[in-house]
Amino acid sequence: MAGATGGHAAIIQDWSSDITVFKGVPWGKAMMWIFLLSDTFIFTCFLTGYMTVRMTTAQPWPSPSDVFALEAFGYPVPLLLIAIMTMILITSSGTMAMAVNMGYQKRKKEAIILILVTAAFGASFVGMQVFEWSKLILEEGIRPWENSMGAPQFGAVFFMVTGFHGLHVSAGVVYLLFIAWLIHKGRYDNTNFEIIEILGLYWHFVDLVWVFIFAFFYLW
Amino acid sequence: MAAEEGQQHPIKLYILIWVLLFVFSGFSYATDFMDAGYLRWFLILLFMMLKAGFIVAIFMHLMWERYALIYALLLPPLALLVLVGAMAMESDYTWLTRIVFFGAEPYPDPCPPVTHGLPEGCEPPPGLGPPAVSH
Amino acid sequence: MAQAEIPYQEDMALHHPHSWVTKYWFSQDHKVIAVQYGITAMSVGLVALVLSWIMRMQIGFPGAFDWITPELYYQSITMHGMIMVIYLLTAFLLGSFGNYLVPLMLGARDMVFPFVNMISYHVYFLSVIILMASYVVPGGPTGAGWTLYPPQAILTGTPGADWGILTMLLSLAVFIVAFTMGGLNYITTILQARTRGMTLMRMPLSIWGILMATVLGLLAFPALFVSAVMMILDQLIGTSFFMPSVVSLGQHLDYSGGSPLLFQHLFWFFGHPEVYIVALPAFGVVSDLLSVHSRKNIFGYRMMVWAIVAIGVLSFVVWAHHMYVSGMHPYFGFFFATTTLVIAVPTAIKVYNWTITLWRANIRLTVPMLFAIAFVITFVVGGLTGLFLGNVIVDVPLSDTYFVVAHFHMVMGVAPILVIFGAIYHWYPKITGRMLNDTLGQWHFWVTFIGTYVIYYPMHYLGFVGVPRRYYENEIGGASAFYPESAALLNETITIAALIVGAFQFMFVYNLVVSYFRGKPAGDNPWGATSLEWRTPQTPPIHGNWGDKLPTVHRWAYDFSVPGAKEDFIPQDVPHDDDHGANRT
Repeated sequence: MAGATGGHAAIIQDWSSDITVFKGVPWGKAMMWIFLLSDTFIFTCFLTGYMTVRMTTAQPWPSPSDVFALEAFGYPVPLLLIAIMTMILITSSGTMAMAVNMGYQKRKKEAIILILVTAAFGASFVGMQVFEWSKLILEEGIRPWENSMGAPQFGAVFFMVTGFHGLHVSAGVVYLLFIAWLIHKGRYDNTNFEIIEILGLYWHFVDLVWVFIFAFFYLW
Repeated sequence: MAAEEGQQHPIKLYILIWVLLFVFSGFSYATDFMDAGYLRWFLILLFMMLKAGFIVAIFMHLMWERYALIYALLLPPLALLVLVGAMAMESDYTWLTRIVFFGAEPYPDPCPPVTHGLPEGCEPPPGLGPPAVSH
Repeated sequence: MAQAEIPYQEDMALHHPHSWVTKYWFSQDHKVIAVQYGITAMSVGLVALVLSWIMRMQIGFPGAFDWITPELYYQSITMHGMIMVIYLLTAFLLGSFGNYLVPLMLGARDMVFPFVNMISYHVYFLSVIILMASYVVPGGPTGAGWTLYPPQAILTGTPGADWGILTMLLSLAVFIVAFTMGGLNYITTILQARTRGMTLMRMPLSIWGILMATVLGLLAFPALFVSAVMMILDQLIGTSFFMPSVVSLGQHLDYSGGSPLLFQHLFWFFGHPEVYIVALPAFGVVSDLLSVHSRKNIFGYRMMVWAIVAIGVLSFVVWAHHMYVSGMHPYFGFFFATTTLVIAVPTAIKVYNWTITLWRANIRLTVPMLFAIAFVITFVVGGLTGLFLGNVIVDVPLSDTYFVVAHFHMVMGVAPILVIFGAIYHWYPKITGRMLNDTLGQWHFWVTFIGTYVIYYPMHYLGFVGVPRRYYENEIGGASAFYPESAALLNETITIAALIVGAFQFMFVYNLVVSYFRGKPAGDNPWGATSLEWRTPQTPPIHGNWGDKLPTVHRWAYDFSVPGAKEDFIPQDVPHDDDHGANRT
């Protein structure tokens, strides 16, 4: 398990060289990383907005662990669905990492299957989110503009943040399917299959964002 | 150059990280059963950072990239820490002004609408409380 | 470097156009996209110019034009501000100059992802369409002021609070998508697709400015995007992110518990870097103009680069100096005043270096050079008033007066516009192969430059006597309410100057069009410049820019007046053993 290639001495060397700064990084991968950096700022701004409305509100904030409890075996289990969703997303991250690995081993068929499995997990995540939303709207009566349990911002933030994350997951599923189709068509046969790594970067990022949403929204 | 061959690493490592992510998610989830306090916050943030670190470092292969890329990606978000820190201070101040000038009821009050069981003798505030559980 | 790297750009597959539509509308050529960006930004900028006439006519001659209603006035100031800052300056400096100069100056064939680049322009075009659609939706465009502060931006009584604000926010969100696609391309191209020998420290300063501004854009626009989404939700479905409990026109609205300060923080977390998104490319371009037209290397190149980087970093920690009177946390004033004054240091370094570049130089007062010098002067004037406004105690009485208007128009309105003009005069020969008419250019310059001072100098005085910004009427019952009557005379003068200066900009557009057909042929390198864009085999450069092989860079971009050299400039791709007898690195 080697550390970062080149070591610290290479920083100045890389930045003062010609042609490329990020040695061995394909254009698409560099672009995806920079995009994810920008996207990080978007999600952090959303979460900062959430922190602000939550900290400034003088009304009580409903407890997420009760609001999102589900009944299992006759007992309310807090955050049951959320825990399952978290596990699903992590599982999909694992299959995605495997797909990247298979791609670099040029095992095209396994890679495609693993990408499709990842997409299936992603789709089921979105499905559970739909279930969660409908339960919240229909049973608990939470709306973006009001909330019988306290601060109206609870619903607003919840729908906005998870909605935006859900959009990312949905877009990711489409992206996964699209790339799987292109790989199947043989578009990348002459390459090193970096495209799967680029795809993976996006998918892991979606998982990464969920880690933060889980900690800050559901556990706070 | 090694990196041009692509990021190839033993599958064993991925499985290990995968398992660790499950374990840490379990720990994260377990904090929900703790009482509120600094310890709980510390653990939430600890497990969050551990999970985020593993995803970025191993799954996204950042730890095998060259430092030129690593620093280019990890330094800019420091600007966000300034924003978050400033907004945390600002929120405290806004909350204070709301209490002082608008006479809003300070919250949490002696009967906090918390999660697992209210203190003795407290009625849940109107409209708030655990969702009804049918028996 | 042990093993030589091959520039991937060398045998990059380009999508060559086959029809008029793919050549001029859905083109993937960065040069065509740059011109598309430029024309769109300039057209929408002319709209904003006319809007500024409307508001100046009202301020200069209140009551004389009864078709200027309060609604029209507020809509005009809002649209003028937003168009100028976002759709003109940002789009022109990054969309147009960024697209044109980045691949050419770096010796690349095109942007790394030409298709994404093409989409970027069309999404930008869509955002302009949505913005202009404000004029046809019920209620017209928003009149909330370009900062769009809630609660007033979405409350009844503000013009366009129903539809105008939505089209504005939607248009901004779409613009951000467009900018992201373009910006990712610029950064990736600059970092990953330079030609042989082109190290970062050999790049012309224009590219440094564009690089840092693009980084700022990608990191700062998210805050605007988020606040736009949240305000759309507030307006459309009644969430209360930014809306506190409000009694409006006697009615208690359904909002409660939101934080208007949150919007201001998010907006300025974007808004202050935005100032430098506009300023940094201008800094870079003007450094090149000054150097080329004074036949002297830029003074302190490394210092200039690090100053750009330092300004970029610091611009993320100064935002709340726009909010001293907002009622934010009282401790913030000290912190943000300090950082604001610190950011003046790298900025001052740049100004000194520009000045020293001119010292004992072989200055040629061409039109681009005139604009470049005018920029330095104007920027100093505007920057100095920034030091006043950066201090809390001075800012409090000056806040929301014409002093502020004068400050930001000088420093980030007029100054970058002067650079844009200078740059157009400078690069027009490369883009079209013909020179712009010099006589018209001289007229354009002198009227714009002197006019700027006639317009904005008196505004400082107006601010000191307390004339508030954005008021529809400054008089009550025919008499000045708060300040001496001389202010009215000054306002009339400013308005007349603004009308004249504005009219001359149309002459500039005329010059652009006519010179395209009748200008005198420019040749490959009319200014004797060193950077790579003047070394293309064809003028104007064809799709793919270079011949079979990309150029190889051997030196920095500022080898002017090298002692012993045959000519007074040595282009970047001239090797050292062939450099006319001079030895320079």
